[in-house]
Amino acid sequence: MSSFIDAVSTQAFMQNAIIGGILASVACGVVGSYVVVKRIGYLAGGIAHAVLGGMGIAYYLGRPPIEGALVAALVFAFILGWVSLKMQQQEDTVIGALWAGGMAVGILFISQTPGYSVDLMSFLFGNILMISSDDLLWIAGLDILILLIVFLFYKQFLALSFDEEFARLRGIPVERFYLLFLSLVALTVVILIQIVGLILVIALLTLPAAVSGQYVRSLNVMMLLATVLGVFFTTGGLALSYQPDLPPGPTIILVAGAFYLVSLVITRFWKRA
Amino acid sequence: MSTDSVIKIKDLDFSYGGPKILEGIEIDIQRNEFIGMVGPNGSGKTTLLKIIMGVLTPDKGSVKVLGNPPSQSVQEIGYMPQFASFSRDFPISVEETVLMGRLGKTSSIGFFNKADKRAAEKAMNDVEILDLRKRVIGSLSGGQLQRVLIARALTCEPQIMILDEPTANVDMKVEKDIFDLLKQLNERITIIVVTHDIGFISQYIDRVACINRTLICHPTSELTGETIENMYGAHMHMVHHHHEDEKK
Repeated sequence: MSSFIDAVSTQAFMQNAIIGGILASVACGVVGSYVVVKRIGYLAGGIAHAVLGGMGIAYYLGRPPIEGALVAALVFAFILGWVSLKMQQQEDTVIGALWAGGMAVGILFISQTPGYSVDLMSFLFGNILMISSDDLLWIAGLDILILLIVFLFYKQFLALSFDEEFARLRGIPVERFYLLFLSLVALTVVILIQIVGLILVIALLTLPAAVSGQYVRSLNVMMLLATVLGVFFTTGGLALSYQPDLPPGPTIILVAGAFYLVSLVITRFWKRA
Repeated sequence: MSTDSVIKIKDLDFSYGGPKILEGIEIDIQRNEFIGMVGPNGSGKTTLLKIIMGVLTPDKGSVKVLGNPPSQSVQEIGYMPQFASFSRDFPISVEETVLMGRLGKTSSIGFFNKADKRAAEKAMNDVEILDLRKRVIGSLSGGQLQRVLIARALTCEPQIMILDEPTANVDMKVEKDIFDLLKQLNERITIIVVTHDIGFISQYIDRVACINRTLICHPTSELTGETIENMYGAHMHMVHHHHEDEKK
């Protein structure tokens, strides 16, 4: 553990990793709480995985993968949002198809990219230790955008996630806000891909909020606690992975997952007692 | 009196693309009336309510709510749905739930403001749940939750309240409490309440609107077993029952 603290105080890449984790936790706590209470984890997972298509195309064209990820995430958010609004009967099948199709497109483009073959693993599982100062600026910018939108439309998002039917009757343009909300999920997914890669995104998006939701009585507090837990999970996972030289992404997820299970057991016992 | 019409429907037809769900509906509801709306399942009650609230558009006929088309007057209607269409484990307090009723009346950006909080406080006070304001909704009893939903419908300071089976899931004591409360609110608000329990509510309401594709209105005094039987198409007994406070 002391070598981890040494590394944090001396190595720029470790400092970037810690800051990246903190910044990602903000988006994660806020947007993840909505995802958990609205129960659209599967839809968010679809967006996260389909994003590989955009990253692969960007890579093929010689552009930074994050640009492709951003475009693909927003496009898929709209497609999946439209599907879940208009085709409720087959929603899960369509999400599944887009989920796998997006990944397949990504892998085909990556395989056809001439020259040095990219490390597919870093797309899939991320590498928080490779976060650059530029990446941090990107993440901070997306954080600010997400917070701004959530502050502006706090009431509408609360109504939408709590009681969509009633929100519609009160004249809220529910469809429009649902798509705006999915765009926020898309932005968050792009941020989180930098930290844990797209396979593990859905865990970091939902686990801190799910743990938080077991203890709180309001959505604001749920978001706040989820953010704090996110910081704890990313930093904790990073610290645990450092000495044995484990990949940090999966370690972060295992820390979060273990915490969630323990918390689940504790709250069950507590409520029964 | 006839000038103070709150809801006026003329010769209205409606279908979801197939057979007519509602046909030739005519009704003129006056300010401060208390209307009971009855009819078998699938008779078009909820459809008619949705038309009054501007969610559905009729195929034919005219609908005026407070003299305007429904979509312009929906902010003046407080609505309490038949089923709570939210999950009981959502982390939200009674106060925040009641504040939701302000949507459409308050500013569209930012948080709820002081005026919203005052309106919510007044609504919670009216339905006697002010002491529950900080409670999370998952911890409420069925009767308490119904009161929260009524308060949510009241916070928009409506001129009309529409309640879709407000007492479907509560016991008779709570049912009586809720109708006593509605009777009080009726002094300033026009109320339409959907129910199956006509025998019970006849002591509260002014008129019964019987819907089964078509609509027939009866003053409460004319309500007999025969009219109910015709409407539900099944044999029914009217059980006359007294309540303690009626023994004078």
